[in-house]
Amino acid sequence: MDELTREFLIESQEGLDRMERCLTDLEERPQDTELLGEIFRSVHTIKGTTGFLGFKRLEKLAHAGENLLGLLRDGKLSANQPIITGLLQLMDALRGILKIIESHNLEGEGTEAETQQDAQLIIRLNELQQLKSSAVTVEAKVAVAAAGVGSPAPLAAPSSNTSSPAIPDLDTAPTPPAKTALVAPEPPKAPTEDAGKPKAAAASDSTLRVDVILLNRMMNLVGELVLTRNQILQATATDPNFTMLSRRLDMVTADLRESVMKARMQPVSNVFSKFPRIIRDLSQMLHRKVRLVMEGQETELDKSLLEAIKDPLTHAVRNSLDHGIEMPEVRIAAGKDPEGTLKLRAYQESSHVIIEVSDDGAGIGVERVRNKAIEKGLISAERAAQLNERELLQLIFLPGFSTAEAVTNVSGRGVGMDVVRTNVEKIGGKVEIESRPGKGTTLRLRIPLTLAIIPALIVRSLDQSFALPQGALSELVHIPPERVSSAIEWMEGTPLYRLRGQLLPLIFLDRMLSPSLKSSRLHLANGSRLEQESLPERDHFIAVLDADGRRFGLVVDGLADPEEIVVKPLSTVLKSIGLYSGATVLGSGDLALILDPGSIASHAGVAMGKSEEVAEVAEEVDVMASRFLLVEASERRAAVPLGDVLRIERIPLSRVEYVGYRPVLNFQGQLLPIEDSAGVFAAAAGNPDAQITVVVCREGKRHVGIAVSHVLDVSAGSDLFEAGSQHAAAGVTLLNDHVTGIVDLAAIQSLPGAEQHSDWNSIQETVA
Amino acid sequence: MSVKSTTSSLALKKDFPAAALLEMCSVRVGQTLFGLPITHILEIVGNTRPQAVPLAPEFVGGLIHYRGDVLTTVSLRQLLGMPLDAESGSKKRKQGHHDILVLECSGGCFGLLVDSVGEVLTVSSADHEPNPSILDARRSALFAGAFKLKEGLLVMLDPERLDPMRLASAA
Repeated sequence: MDELTREFLIESQEGLDRMERCLTDLEERPQDTELLGEIFRSVHTIKGTTGFLGFKRLEKLAHAGENLLGLLRDGKLSANQPIITGLLQLMDALRGILKIIESHNLEGEGTEAETQQDAQLIIRLNELQQLKSSAVTVEAKVAVAAAGVGSPAPLAAPSSNTSSPAIPDLDTAPTPPAKTALVAPEPPKAPTEDAGKPKAAAASDSTLRVDVILLNRMMNLVGELVLTRNQILQATATDPNFTMLSRRLDMVTADLRESVMKARMQPVSNVFSKFPRIIRDLSQMLHRKVRLVMEGQETELDKSLLEAIKDPLTHAVRNSLDHGIEMPEVRIAAGKDPEGTLKLRAYQESSHVIIEVSDDGAGIGVERVRNKAIEKGLISAERAAQLNERELLQLIFLPGFSTAEAVTNVSGRGVGMDVVRTNVEKIGGKVEIESRPGKGTTLRLRIPLTLAIIPALIVRSLDQSFALPQGALSELVHIPPERVSSAIEWMEGTPLYRLRGQLLPLIFLDRMLSPSLKSSRLHLANGSRLEQESLPERDHFIAVLDADGRRFGLVVDGLADPEEIVVKPLSTVLKSIGLYSGATVLGSGDLALILDPGSIASHAGVAMGKSEEVAEVAEEVDVMASRFLLVEASERRAAVPLGDVLRIERIPLSRVEYVGYRPVLNFQGQLLPIEDSAGVFAAAAGNPDAQITVVVCREGKRHVGIAVSHVLDVSAGSDLFEAGSQHAAAGVTLLNDHVTGIVDLAAIQSLPGAEQHSDWNSIQETVA
Repeated sequence: MSVKSTTSSLALKKDFPAAALLEMCSVRVGQTLFGLPITHILEIVGNTRPQAVPLAPEFVGGLIHYRGDVLTTVSLRQLLGMPLDAESGSKKRKQGHHDILVLECSGGCFGLLVDSVGEVLTVSSADHEPNPSILDARRSALFAGAFKLKEGLLVMLDPERLDPMRLASAA
């Protein structure tokens, strides 16, 4: 394909995207001449260029549309529903042809059916022009329409280099052509061209089209640089001569990485913009009234991720419309606004972008979900009876699940939510669902900011390092040597661990990865006794993982630092083992395989048992608000709301730095203000090797640290009521029968200009 | 890159009246001298320890980091059924360290673990002989005949046949 055609394709597609947006807006503001002008320009540009390139099918269609749009723009017609539908159809047809051109480099001869379709569409567009409007005489209109069909063919014929003329001369025009009116749509062309040009020129001066392949390559190279930098930092850590140099390299690399990543970012509006149209079509088809609200369209996401969420998001929206929002009559009966609201919302939360699809529809009936799941044999009746509401909701993510009474065009084929979840998890994201019967449903997609670089915990097993994606990791449990035999329990050869009273299936990474260990176990183990004894008395670490709704503990020999790792693909041979999702180069220069928690679970046969554990989590969420982390700072006790605690860090006092008088900590590349009202630093100041504990908390959008001497406990607090009143006293709670003050996170002053710290900074590489 | 596939080119060359000169990189594994066409060699990485991959097919020697990519390596010793990690000759090296040839084939790049890499030999296509019929099946599937040199035989290896993908599907 030559440069010119490629450019034309890109431009036309952009034009059509713009047109789509404008058309749906037009429905609400039919008199908006600016919108009309914009649409007209898009179609006009396509028409102009196609004539030049010899794509006749395209030109004919575009011309017919242009005529109609010309009348609209000049105010001779006003946009109504049939016209907009017609224009949308035109747009689809144009898109279809562009697609053909893209794949075959010519628009194709047009099969009989296609020709027919084109002709019908042109007739339809022409008919639309005749919808009575006083300013245009019938004769002129017809002439214009006819010219649209008749004139381009002879013009374009000589320049056409398709194997045969695209379309034989059509006699689809409603009346014989009358050349007199040929000029009718022309005059407006000039002014729009002029108006459009300066804008376009300005944009092209400051922007540049870059091939995505080049960007990908740049991203790879930057990843390489990050790895090299990590190694250099480790190698030169002890050499004072290199400190300045390596620090500079560190900074430049971080900046470069950020810039390249930014170059790949696109606003989610690129994906959102197609929803007005989808919703318009679907709501007409399903006879529902739906208002679309979009928020946070400017939120940016990596281009490849944006591509990846397109389908899941469409699925989710279709589901909301089909199953969520009720028919207008039903809504009125339920005392709701007959017009349903579908809300698309995107926002950033630390290193994730959250995309919410929420509706104010009927919500999901958990009983119906339960019955359907049993009916489809996805779950046994006994099991289903044990599940609580939250667990039942999770069932809709099972493959093959559908509550639709009938298979419709829109959904109900049972390939909905599991596809959503699989696709989102494929890119390292998560799907959450919330539903309240009668009130609506919210589906939340949690998408990582970037694919190429992910935070991971490095674990040791078999004297090798493995990377475990942080996304799947929910907590870590350490079992000291003396407790190994008592903490790990066996149920006929299956190791289990009691995590807060719930049994967690365990997978020993070394046994799974090393067939010799496994087989020796098989030989040895006729009962569970032997196995239990075979566990060496050394430290064991359990990484509690949550993969595809399956929860299990992965037992490893050791933990190393968390690292930001650059994912490198594996060869097909190794990918087919199924346990690894890639490999990476660690800061030490060693290679590490990246474990795939989902595959490990399936490999070990961990069932989709969103069982007891999930129930527990659910409870935890409910009580989270009233649970507190009890800390001691300089012999005073204080409570921090557990829900706000992100992590607890133990750091040497020497790492604390000062901005003015405020103590701060360079924490994962971010500046963390530290609250030290209890004077923990002062108490430790005499000792150069002193370690202090910092509780990192979330407060609104920022993170703050609280310096404490010890972390004591986690316990549930209860409200204290002031004697004689029903008002819960603020700022205090009853913990372990002691009245304890709650640390007021909001009162911690932010650093000057701290609010400018974007969450971008949180994905800084940790230097091991 | 003119030599697309060694086997075909070698076979063709036999029919030519004039013998062509070919450049082969010699490598040693155990007692045998093997040859690989230099046109397929991207780089020779000396004395490296590949990262083991648990549960990988046996012929996989591990992973190496090569110019930003992670390459799968193939262990020639393993393929030929020789004991692994036998110390070869005078070269003193740590346990598990190998010389690695980075090879390019139609399916992509991969590494080949060998005991040691020797010099580049210029051989004449006239000296080429196909695999003898009594060679066992495993070896004849890997070898592309041999060149008769004064010092002995240079057993030819064909990168295409060593491609891990192909080995995996054969296994």
